Amino acid sequence: MGFLGNLFGGGRRDRSASVAKQRLMMVLVDDRYKLTPDMLEQMKIEMAEVLSRYLPHVDSDQIEVTLLRGEANDHLKAEIPLKRGRDE
Amino acid sequence: MARVITITSGKGGVGKTTTTANLGTALAMRGARVAVMDADIGLRNLDVVMGLENRIVYDLVDVVEGRARLRQALIKDKRLPELCLLPAAQTRDKDAVSPEQMVYLTNQLRTEFDFILIDSPAGIEGGFRNAIVGADEVIIVTTPEVSAVRDADRIVGLVEAAEKGTPSLIVNRIKPRLVNRGEMLSVEDVIELLAINLLGIVPDDEAIVTSTNRGEAAVYDQHSLAGRAFLNIARRLNGEEVPFLPLQDQPGVLERFFGIFGRRRT
Ligand SMILES: Nc1ncnc2c1ncn2[C@@H]1O[C@H](COP(=O)(O)OP(=O)(O)OP(=O)(O)O)[C@@H](O)[C@H]1O
Ligand SMILES: [Mg+2]
Repeated sequence: MGFLGNLFGGGRRDRSASVAKQRLMMVLVDDRYKLTPDMLEQMKIEMAEVLSRYLPHVDSDQIEVTLLRGEANDHLKAEIPLKRGRDE
Repeated sequence: MARVITITSGKGGVGKTTTTANLGTALAMRGARVAVMDADIGLRNLDVVMGLENRIVYDLVDVVEGRARLRQALIKDKRLPELCLLPAAQTRDKDAVSPEQMVYLTNQLRTEFDFILIDSPAGIEGGFRNAIVGADEVIIVTTPEVSAVRDADRIVGLVEAAEKGTPSLIVNRIKPRLVNRGEMLSVEDVIELLAINLLGIVPDDEAIVTSTNRGEAAVYDQHSLAGRAFLNIARRLNGEEVPFLPLQDQPGVLERFFGIFGRRRT
């Protein structure tokens, strides 16, 4: 992005609206499900443990959990990157 | 059939009273018989926003405690004969009225009016519960800010738990230029977070300040974008399909441009 990007305020920092949205997403999970960021971390670690029993090494740091809000139900979405087996 | 609609928010100062005054006025301008009720007991405000503060003799608590009949306490609007205000008590606290009394009061109003709009106090306590107990529908007002949206989410849960259905949403004080720069939550963001139906989008507008100064609703001001947004919300409440207004700071060329291409519609 470089010079022009910085000139127009699009530097490294994320736009504050998307920061606000991400923060709200986490706060609302906490409010609605009493699921604190710490618990979410712990959940990822345990998910990685279980998944690693079946799949080549899964790193808990790589798991991304997001809450999708729907009208009747919310959904928890986990993205779990897998190392390609054939590289091993 | 009368409709009792409560306007609430969770967080204070996001525009409940402004919304109640403008929607009440807009609905009455369109020929409905409307009562607006100030349920913010102890912090009376709707009367001054509507410019009716000098006419108050009796208030809601006087009616509930039998010192006045409902008809005596209802104040007629200056311009619209079909619009009435039931003021809150200023010197009492929120416990002066029980939920049963609120239900009784709204049922009495139902016999005389088409719409009863209730201006709720902020918060999630007794005052809020009193404000929704007699309602058929609930409207949540929020601003595009983290704390206001968070509190709105709390209120959605409480309204659903009180079996009042899923509330609809008004996003107030949108600043299109900030949204376009990515420095303010967009209406789309807020809807995605709260997952409730959008009823209206009201821009941040200086005309709200000046009209409130005068005690006149902004819906009388042809040039006010916020006023027009409230008029549209009133039409939607009447079941009309009204496209969302194009949001621009200066009405004119840009607005027409956005109107044609259908972008950034409120
Ligand atoms: N769209 C708008 N543009 C500009 N100013 C606005 C807008 N909406 C509300 N305001 C201003 O914000 C302030 C708070 O509005 P209002 O009193 O309607 O909020 P409220 O939710 O009723 O507050 P409270 O929780 O204290 O009852 C007022 O000064 C009002 O004029
Ligand atoms: Mg108010």
